[in-house]
Amino acid sequence: MKINQKLQGAQLKQSSPKLRVAANFAFASLLFLNLDASATVLAPNTLLTKTAYNTTFTKIKIADIRITGKVLDETGQPLAGVSVKTKTGNIGTVTDAGGSFTLSVPENAILVISYIGYSPQEVAVAGKTSVSVRLQPNNKDLNEVVVTALGIKKEARKVGYALTTVKGDDLNIAKETNVATSLTGRVAGLSVNGNSGGPGSSARILLRGVTSFGASSPLFVINGVPMDNTQRGQSSEWGGADYGDGISNINPDDIETMTVLKGQSASALYGSRAANGVILITTKGGKKNSGIGVEYSSNFQIDQAVDNTDFQDVYGQGEFGLKPVTAAGALSSGSLGWGAKLDGSQVIAYNGNSYPYSKTDDNYLKFYRTGHTFTNTVSVDGGNENGTFRLSAANLQANSIVPNSGLNRKTFNFNGSQAITKKLNVNVVVNYIDELAKNKASLSDGPGNPNNVTFLAANQAQSILAPGFDANGKELTFTNDTYVTNPYFAAEKFVTNIGRKRFISSMQAKYDFTDWIYAQIRLGYDNSNNTALRIEPTGTGYLSNNGSMFQTTGQLTELNSDVLIGVKHDIVKDLLNFDLSAGGNIRKNTNDTYRIEGVNGFIIPNFYSLTNFGSRNSSYTYSRTQTNSAYYTADFNFKTYLTLSTTGRYDVYSTLKDGNNGIFSPSVSGSFNFAELAKIPGLDFGKLRVSYAQTSGEPKDAYGTDVYYTVNNSVNGVSAGGFSNQLPNLFLKPFTLKEFEVGTELKFLKGRLTLDVSYFARKTNNEIINSTIDNSTGYTNRYIATGSTQNRGLEVELGGTVIQSNDFTWAPSFNFTYVKNKILTTDGGANADQTLGTYRPQNANLALVAGLPGPQIMAYDYLRDASGNIVYANGIPQRGALKAMGSTVPKIYGGFTNNFSYKKVSLSILADYRFGNKVLSGTNYYSIFRGLNKMTLEGRETGVVGPGVNANGTPNTTNLRAEDYYQGLARNISALNVLDGSFIKLRQVSLGYTFGKETLGRSPFSAITLSLVGRNLWTIMKHTDNIDPESTFSTDIRYAGIEGTSLPFTRTYGFNLNIKFKK
Amino acid sequence: MKKRFIYSSLLIAGTFLASCTKDFTDINTDPNKTTATLFNPNFLLAQSQVQFSNTGYDQLLFQSMWSQALASTYDYYGNGDKYVFRGSGQGYNGRTWDNGYNAATLVFEMKNLVKGNAAQSNLDNVASIMKVLIFQRVTDAYGDIPYSEALLAKEGNVTPVYDTQRAIYTSMLSELEAAVAALDVAKAKPTSDLFYGGDIAQWKKLGNSLMVRLAMRLVKVDPATARTYVEKAYASGTMTSIADNAKVQPDNANGNGSSNAAALLVNDDFREVRWSKPLIDYMKSNNDPRISAIAEISTGTGKKANEAQIAGNNTASLQVGLPNGYDLSGGATDVSRAPAYPGTSPADASVAGDAAAPVGKYSRPRFLVYDDRNSINMLLTYGETELLLAEAATRGWNTGVAATHFANALRANMLSLAQLNTTGVATVDAAAITAYVASHPLVPATALNQINMEYWVETASTFNFNENWSNWRRSGFPVLTPVTYAGQFTNGTIPRRIQYKLNLASTNGVNYNAAVSRLTGGDTFTARVWWDVQ
Repeated sequence: MKINQKLQGAQLKQSSPKLRVAANFAFASLLFLNLDASATVLAPNTLLTKTAYNTTFTKIKIADIRITGKVLDETGQPLAGVSVKTKTGNIGTVTDAGGSFTLSVPENAILVISYIGYSPQEVAVAGKTSVSVRLQPNNKDLNEVVVTALGIKKEARKVGYALTTVKGDDLNIAKETNVATSLTGRVAGLSVNGNSGGPGSSARILLRGVTSFGASSPLFVINGVPMDNTQRGQSSEWGGADYGDGISNINPDDIETMTVLKGQSASALYGSRAANGVILITTKGGKKNSGIGVEYSSNFQIDQAVDNTDFQDVYGQGEFGLKPVTAAGALSSGSLGWGAKLDGSQVIAYNGNSYPYSKTDDNYLKFYRTGHTFTNTVSVDGGNENGTFRLSAANLQANSIVPNSGLNRKTFNFNGSQAITKKLNVNVVVNYIDELAKNKASLSDGPGNPNNVTFLAANQAQSILAPGFDANGKELTFTNDTYVTNPYFAAEKFVTNIGRKRFISSMQAKYDFTDWIYAQIRLGYDNSNNTALRIEPTGTGYLSNNGSMFQTTGQLTELNSDVLIGVKHDIVKDLLNFDLSAGGNIRKNTNDTYRIEGVNGFIIPNFYSLTNFGSRNSSYTYSRTQTNSAYYTADFNFKTYLTLSTTGRYDVYSTLKDGNNGIFSPSVSGSFNFAELAKIPGLDFGKLRVSYAQTSGEPKDAYGTDVYYTVNNSVNGVSAGGFSNQLPNLFLKPFTLKEFEVGTELKFLKGRLTLDVSYFARKTNNEIINSTIDNSTGYTNRYIATGSTQNRGLEVELGGTVIQSNDFTWAPSFNFTYVKNKILTTDGGANADQTLGTYRPQNANLALVAGLPGPQIMAYDYLRDASGNIVYANGIPQRGALKAMGSTVPKIYGGFTNNFSYKKVSLSILADYRFGNKVLSGTNYYSIFRGLNKMTLEGRETGVVGPGVNANGTPNTTNLRAEDYYQGLARNISALNVLDGSFIKLRQVSLGYTFGKETLGRSPFSAITLSLVGRNLWTIMKHTDNIDPESTFSTDIRYAGIEGTSLPFTRTYGFNLNIKFKK
Repeated sequence: MKKRFIYSSLLIAGTFLASCTKDFTDINTDPNKTTATLFNPNFLLAQSQVQFSNTGYDQLLFQSMWSQALASTYDYYGNGDKYVFRGSGQGYNGRTWDNGYNAATLVFEMKNLVKGNAAQSNLDNVASIMKVLIFQRVTDAYGDIPYSEALLAKEGNVTPVYDTQRAIYTSMLSELEAAVAALDVAKAKPTSDLFYGGDIAQWKKLGNSLMVRLAMRLVKVDPATARTYVEKAYASGTMTSIADNAKVQPDNANGNGSSNAAALLVNDDFREVRWSKPLIDYMKSNNDPRISAIAEISTGTGKKANEAQIAGNNTASLQVGLPNGYDLSGGATDVSRAPAYPGTSPADASVAGDAAAPVGKYSRPRFLVYDDRNSINMLLTYGETELLLAEAATRGWNTGVAATHFANALRANMLSLAQLNTTGVATVDAAAITAYVASHPLVPATALNQINMEYWVETASTFNFNENWSNWRRSGFPVLTPVTYAGQFTNGTIPRRIQYKLNLASTNGVNYNAAVSRLTGGDTFTARVWWDVQ
């Protein structure tokens, strides 16, 4: 702050014209825009020596009267930072930390006291020397200011498209280790699905449905600067762990608000990556003139695994109705529940010991421990007249329910704002994140997957698998499918450590030439250094060597430099004015990753180092992309009730070929505050908004437009080479997305009831898709630009305050989303299905199918004859054609929040729901195949003769052993694994009590809030028997809705303590 | 202060200006890969060879046990041993397909890169021979496959038509003939050739020997064509010694180790994959000196001993083959109920936690030979060619003297085992070879039986199970008893074809369906490919 004080007193030349300054900024803009800025304009040196700023301030006229005052909020607490101005506007100040102000004003002045969120008040001085003003909250939100694209603040009533703001408090009381997951059920149009991969796992975030073939997450913009949200590694049908995504790094305690910009006209200014929508994160900062405040928040939560399985407990481990009689036999049937009826006899297990052949109470869930997450954040904030700051440090320690696995994350956040002069304001935000996820659990497929413990027969105690290895460290495999790793061995010995050191920073300088023209330069840099260490340990059952190891080190960067010039002007005062911003952006992304892998197993067993190999393979990935953009946004406001807004953007993408890489995308939107014109009783605010926008997109990856060859490892000294099985496309162009949106926002009865409804229709054209083709074509994938997707939907947010008395309020809010997605075309002509992901049994997959919502589960139903009889061969039902069985993305979703407060007690309850989606369940497949599913009970004693006919029309009379029948059935009829994923869940409950000043008295605290929180407390409704319908092993849209062998669903309980120290 | 700010902002802006002026074309060029102008197309040959030869589970899971060369009680091998889906079941259908097309893509691109370059015509023709070598394996496994329109994604064809196997064979034979004829020893040699180090004369011999193999596949369905091409090939010159064997030496240290060894060295595979009873019985009945070269029984007893990856006891008289079709379930098909079950290998009391090994007394593929990660991948041998020529001569075709070819083959097949490992650990004693050849003359009355049984033994001993199974289908030798087991996908018969890989219905539906409609009995393991007539 000292620097600032010096500045205040500095005397500066005032000779230099403002225009020079403008030229200076314009020059900088040109540099940023990468246009041909010629040095002949003016050499920078010359410019600088000649430049000075008019920084004279506090030119206060000597006034007639000195007035002091105090501004209080509705509860009587002082309000800091409140603007106090004379109505003529030439004299003003803001209140200090104690809510006080002092001002010298003419005797007859009228003071206007205004503060965001409160109704402004006018006070006539009328000779008084002291006033006390109590501001009332502005329920009508008429002057609510929202942050829109590029960080431009707008009055909510002028915005011609849908957006929803979520406050930080809704995210940080009951914490998720990935803050995106906390948005579940809170915003109409937004669906969030966290991955079942333990702390810090990724989230699949879809705004307005499957908007494109890639349907990736919305663009996250932190304090005006886009941040990288790359998914760093996921599981597939062949297993793997969730390496987390970009948003999971953010500490919820640092978030002031998250604003979801839903429509394309909102995101048109961000270009291609905003095609899936934009979520703006504003981190907390200090308040002006607020003094130094210290806040400490501590959160402790425990996670408990929930058993969703409902397996049969009549028959035990074994095969063909027999109990194992030898250790080898027990190993052979290790995960199979096809044994005899449980009879309490002693039966041999894989380890040679005998155990009672009866239902165990030591079931798989006991393998998991109670997880706990402990988060501590301390922050210091403050501000004087010219600057604000906030500094926070946080530590998160999350222990997964999987033994030996967890996440540690340290975050440091600084947000500082400083008025260098009255016209020049500088803002710096720095986020540093140091994160290490230890032993991320493998999901989906069996190798190294601790969740293999899910599949045990009724008599198998999970503890007999412990410790998972013998005295030599060799895995004790418990089934003769060695690719099903012993869960204890997997948890204890496998290593998947994912580290990230990340630095997200933004610097912004804004210069106000006048009160109606400003220029702004912004630089955003997001740099993450990622490491991954994976060890398949010595003794791993499926390995034929001493174990493997790889290590990757990579750097991802995103650099955004942009410039923005804003002009606000009245064309006709109080009738027509315009608000214009124009600017440019250069975005650069790089990925620089090295990977080193040991060859042929460790030489010395149990010594896990890359040095411990005969040789090493290494690979290096480098890619970089750049987008140059220029854009403008212009608002024309007619009086206060009509705003017409238009934006335009021109992008040039480096990922496309010269001549095909530039595209202009426009948008236009309008908002009409009709309630201002026609007074309707009870209606305080009524806005109609309409918008039409086009955005463009580029290929997901660099280098997709050229043919390349590589040099591979030599074979006995003979050079070898190859090329990618991804076929490039030399003729790709940017694709387009067009959206029409209409909506209304209504507020009744002084804000007691609010309604926000939007309808949208959007369509992509010439989308660039990476289409699966068969190896027989020479390639496995190709880029084509023939995709087209359509989304139409309705979003409703209904809120209100049902009861509002002095002590008690009840404010419910409900949101509802309906999205109808349709894949219009896939590969153009033939419109072949675009195959996406699958699960390990590989008898079903996801695909984008023209004419149907994406992604569809493609599965095999029964083969039926003309009369509808099931057709058998050798007693096993035969599969019919591969058929689309429904989309994995919900059609209807939303949430219902109820906030109650009684005096100092607050209670918040959030329930959310999802309807109309299907799940492809690997658990269901394995439960049938392994004889654990209850449906396999039928025919155990007698064998199964399935009802139906043989191919020749004769009735099926083949009697098969239950095991043979059900295994054949599971293999052939994958439709059995297509489940209804609808649910209603009690997502979050928090109960808080605030100790205010009156209780805390002379203690050093100004407020202490203690909350009890719970998440995922109760699944009110679901239709899936053995799984949680949200369970998934990958957040990639290609695997959406596929589940299997992942961490169980968890319930979370905990408390949150927030302490504010006195200033 | 302000000046400083301005300076810094300009400095920042200037820094970015400097880094922004580069051309976008430059940014969009992958710095780690190269383009056709710099790339050496020869490199694709070596990659194709190593990729195609390295089969591992591609042939162990299905083929090796369908022709009953190997056997296993291990559940994972149920697909091969018992014709029931195990592990990923149908997921394995595509292995031969994918491996084949992936390898073919490489040589096809190599042809594209040298197209019109007369100086590189040898590389072009070598690629054609590779292509036929690869496509024969794929069509033999599945029947009708994309051929004439295959590998043309670059030209825009992503839904290739499936040619009939008849058309494919016709085309392969004529392409092969043209390629062999066009090879020119005077021109540049391929520089990245893992088979012959670029020796064009040897490529000519391989081309002709491959032509013999192709033609002999057609003996039942089109004997006239078969005869024409076998005679052409013989006249042009087939392989003349085991030095001509087409094989790839893996390079374990550089990440190209033998996938056969990698598969067999997995604990369960090592413990439970065994030579089959028919194979060991046949070899024993012939006093075949190769038994000790290829088979052994675990030294020590118990499960741990059977998992210990060390050499076993290869004394010929001790060797016992495992009958196909048994498991460890404890039920009717438990291996203990197998005829002449030699008993478990009892647990070693001195080893903590040891258990009996139910198949521990059966012969496994010899550790030092087949679990060697640098063991040779054999693709086509002189001995196989001599056997096929012996059969052609027996059929009265003009390919020399059957008995001479047969004797050459016996000697070559035994000598070839020395090539399996750089250590030569599978070398068969020269005197024993001479004695065996002398005592096993070709008898006209049993010639077809003798020739094809030897073909079976040879392709088993060289772990070339793709060929082992194909020649069984072609010749009917050995006469095998199908395994019967509940839940089979073949209704008690030995598979004669591999079902198409799973996702073809979605990636190329129309052409896939057309191909399936041409199959008698649909897309099953029991349908027969064109040349496999009853």
